[in-house]
Amino acid sequence: MTERYVGRNVYKVDAQDKVMGKAKYPDDIYFDNMLYLKIKRATHPHAHLRRIDISKAVKLPGVVKIITADDIPQVKNFGLIIKDQPVLVGIGQKMRYMGDALAIVIAETKEIASKAVRLIEVEVEELEVISDPLRAMEKDAPLIHKDGNILATHYLEKGDIKKGFAEANVIVENEYRTTFLDQVPLQVEAGVGIYDEESGFIKLWVASQWLHDTQADVAQSLGFPKEKIRIIQPVIGGAFGKKEDISVHIHLALAAIATKRPVKLTYTREESMIAQSKRHPFIIRVKTGATKEGYLTAWQAEVIGDTGAYASSGPAVVHKGMYHCTGPYNVDNVKGVAYTVYTNNTYAGAMRGFGTTQMAFAYESQMDILAHKLGIDPAQFRLQNAYNIGSSTPNGQILTHSVGVKETIKKAAEIAGWKGGLR
Amino acid sequence: MEEFPQGLQNSKDFSGGDSKKCQRTVPCQGYFAPQRIEEALEILSRYGKEIKIIAGGTDLLVQYYDRLYEINNWLDLKNIKELKEVKINKNQMIIGAMVTHTQLESSEDIKTYYPVLSQAAADIGSPQIRNRGTIGGNIVNASPAGDLLSPLMAYDAQFKLQSNQREMIVPAEEFFIGPKKTILQPNQLLTRIILPLPEEKTYGCWIKIGKRKALAIATIILALVVKMAEDNKTVKDVRTCLGSVAPTPIEIKEVRKKMAGKNFNQLDFAELGQIVEDKISPIDDIRGTREYRKDVAKEIMINALEEIDSARRERNY
Amino acid sequence: MSKLTIGFIINGQKKTIETTTSTRLLDLIRDDLHLTGTKEGCGKGECGACTVIMNGELVASCLILATQSDGAVITTIEGIGDNECLDPVQEAFIETGAVQCGFCTPGMILAAKKMLEENPHPDEEEIKRGISGNLCRCTGYQKIIDAIKLAANRLSSKNGGRSEKDD
Ligand SMILES: Cc1cc2nc3c(=O)[nH]c(=O)nc-3n(C[C@H](O)[C@H](O)[C@H](O)COP(=O)(O)OP(=O)(O)OC[C@H]3O[C@@H](n4cnc5c(N)ncnc54)[C@H](O)[C@@H]3O)c2cc1C
Ligand code: FES
Ligand code: FES
Repeated sequence: MTERYVGRNVYKVDAQDKVMGKAKYPDDIYFDNMLYLKIKRATHPHAHLRRIDISKAVKLPGVVKIITADDIPQVKNFGLIIKDQPVLVGIGQKMRYMGDALAIVIAETKEIASKAVRLIEVEVEELEVISDPLRAMEKDAPLIHKDGNILATHYLEKGDIKKGFAEANVIVENEYRTTFLDQVPLQVEAGVGIYDEESGFIKLWVASQWLHDTQADVAQSLGFPKEKIRIIQPVIGGAFGKKEDISVHIHLALAAIATKRPVKLTYTREESMIAQSKRHPFIIRVKTGATKEGYLTAWQAEVIGDTGAYASSGPAVVHKGMYHCTGPYNVDNVKGVAYTVYTNNTYAGAMRGFGTTQMAFAYESQMDILAHKLGIDPAQFRLQNAYNIGSSTPNGQILTHSVGVKETIKKAAEIAGWKGGLR
Repeated sequence: MEEFPQGLQNSKDFSGGDSKKCQRTVPCQGYFAPQRIEEALEILSRYGKEIKIIAGGTDLLVQYYDRLYEINNWLDLKNIKELKEVKINKNQMIIGAMVTHTQLESSEDIKTYYPVLSQAAADIGSPQIRNRGTIGGNIVNASPAGDLLSPLMAYDAQFKLQSNQREMIVPAEEFFIGPKKTILQPNQLLTRIILPLPEEKTYGCWIKIGKRKALAIATIILALVVKMAEDNKTVKDVRTCLGSVAPTPIEIKEVRKKMAGKNFNQLDFAELGQIVEDKISPIDDIRGTREYRKDVAKEIMINALEEIDSARRERNY
Repeated sequence: MSKLTIGFIINGQKKTIETTTSTRLLDLIRDDLHLTGTKEGCGKGECGACTVIMNGELVASCLILATQSDGAVITTIEGIGDNECLDPVQEAFIETGAVQCGFCTPGMILAAKKMLEENPHPDEEEIKRGISGNLCRCTGYQKIIDAIKLAANRLSSKNGGRSEKDD
């Protein structure tokens, strides 16, 4: 216990298991008598489910059971911040993106489950598909969720924006757009579940990022007490935010309860692309003012984040993005508004940076454009506006330590061989 | 190799030389791995459309991902040794359909005579893909972005197609009829690729534009082969073949007319690039727009001509 | 789909096993033999997580039918090194910090091993080409490249070859 570790190289504790192929990831877990699940997914990005016919699929030898919404009336919606995600879409209800689940197929082999999924017939009544958040925000746009397509609006105000622009000699106004991005952890969503009838425990071996949050969400959705849900974290093959959300968990639990046998569900990569969270695409409208000496005076931002069909971490991501609208630069007068908007795209959630990487594209572009307009070396322009100890962020946080941005800029310029000037 | 316990070494029990026995026994059902071309053709004529020929499987297993059960019968060519050979026969190079991209890339003969083909093979996918993927699979799959197709056309390749009725030899140009469409019949096997040995002063250049250095399906491909006369200056003949710009690999024949008989030193590279740009009508797709492809086609044509020019100057005859 | 019996040698052991014509080599290795060091990241040849060595060649086991492996000699990550003595490539991966989530690691190590067998003194470009069929989403590759260089140095000094740095 007296051994010192600071300043010493320490090997990763599980590295040896990993180089030998011994580390157990969720899909590496096998039980005797285990069944395999496949999910029948939405057939249209925005439609009412009118009919679902599983009769051909259940007749396929090897299919043990097919669960539809009719079988689980007691099960509630789930979701990280807002419980807006259905476990299964029922008759008369809406599918809101291509990843919505319509049925859980449980079979003796993966192959049989895949075949059965393709035998399920679905009839839908199609609605207008909203893939553009700007369309979603229009007055006459159909509602994706009943409370409106703008899920959350956040405001930001610091100083006096009017005064700030009045002080500016140069003002630059632009719109930036970023795209969807998948986190692509190398391991897709996967898990194994068992239900112990005697003790009433559900055990789920699923790679998750927020075990306790997941546990609580699974419990409330199933109507189980929290202590009966055990989420066991096997080795996790990357996550990068994508595994914060529920994926296979509730479907596994339902299948384990229904069959009393161990069950496994592993997404295909395509399924992971279609059904699981993404980085939010942002539309960022920015107006920035600076003096002719090259000091920022005002920064106004409007952020529209496409959170897709469900909230996930959306309200927090877009909100946080807005707080970072000025990047690491001092601005006394800031004003912002951020909209988190529902569309029929794959839902967006957490990904490395949590809204800040999208903003970086906008604020760094603004800085370059301004530097050129002002005729100041962009590196110098950044340096003279960069945060110090004591700076205050747009949301008023005073930075008291670990402010390394100036050193970073200097070092980056040095490594890049930046000779100054305007290029 | 070590002796086998009860396994089916050489797949004798359900393929092997005795195809009659194979017909009747249960284990042969669904998977055949014959050792000779004749047996393969015989199985093929028996099953026709009901059997899938598999070589390296690098196209098929992607196409049938999660639905392999739809294929009831496989004809695996892996045991047919003669399809894996690269050999010179008089003034021709004969490449077996089962020759892998790795084999093409590492063959000294291919490197010497057909550098464009060699480089194209080296640029395919990744080591894992090159080790399994075959020239025959690349040809029959007939993707507009198939990397070997333009080089093969540029070297005037011919394909030997065999059924148990007859065999035929067709020029590459006639083989491809659309995206993923060829003249190959269900009872036919592509067995060999035949290339004329090039004349001494033949130069080639291979340019593939993709999104990454590895594992990139081409946005545009250019295979340029120029035959020079004895003087190493006068252009005798030229093949300008492009991929990923049309439903099939294509040759820009207008370039032939423009270049043949001319002194290479006096060629206008920009004009030739412009001809290539004008004569292609690519489409927009996820890998690039029509406009982008046209622009790039011109530029890579100019680059290729420059490269050939410097290679020519290096060789002092 | 038909059932049939095939035989092969995997990690030095002879196996005879019943499989189907719609089973991939990857499924056979994982679901039947429970050699779960071989991973599935994409199922389409793009990521290299399913890499094994078959008949001396680096291959993606997601693109091979189980039946095609009849008569083959196969090595998976479980066939490299052992508890007492790790392979130098495995050691180098641990020491340089080339392992993060580890999902790419088995395939990456097999690719590295195969490359070093063919080319004991690769330069950086050759290393990159050698592992170009294997994706890693965690490390950014630099430490993997460092690990392979370290392993190359150790292996060549062990074989009496040149040794630049053995640390
Ligand atoms: C990750 C990845 C990357 C790739 N990268 C590239 C790339 O960069 N460039 C490129 O061009 N391609 C690429 N490919 C595609 C593929 O690898 C090549 O087209 C390869 O050459 C196909 O050969 P194969 O032997 O694997 O074909 P298979 O999949 O075995 O067969 C393909 C088709 O040809 C038929 N067939 C095969 N051989 C014969 C024969 N002798 N007679 C009659 N029919 C036959 C089969 O029935 C099937 O329809 C890539 C594939 C993957 C998975
Ligand atoms: S799983 Fe085989 S290459 Fe990705
Ligand atoms: S260590 Fe996670 S993918 Fe490579």
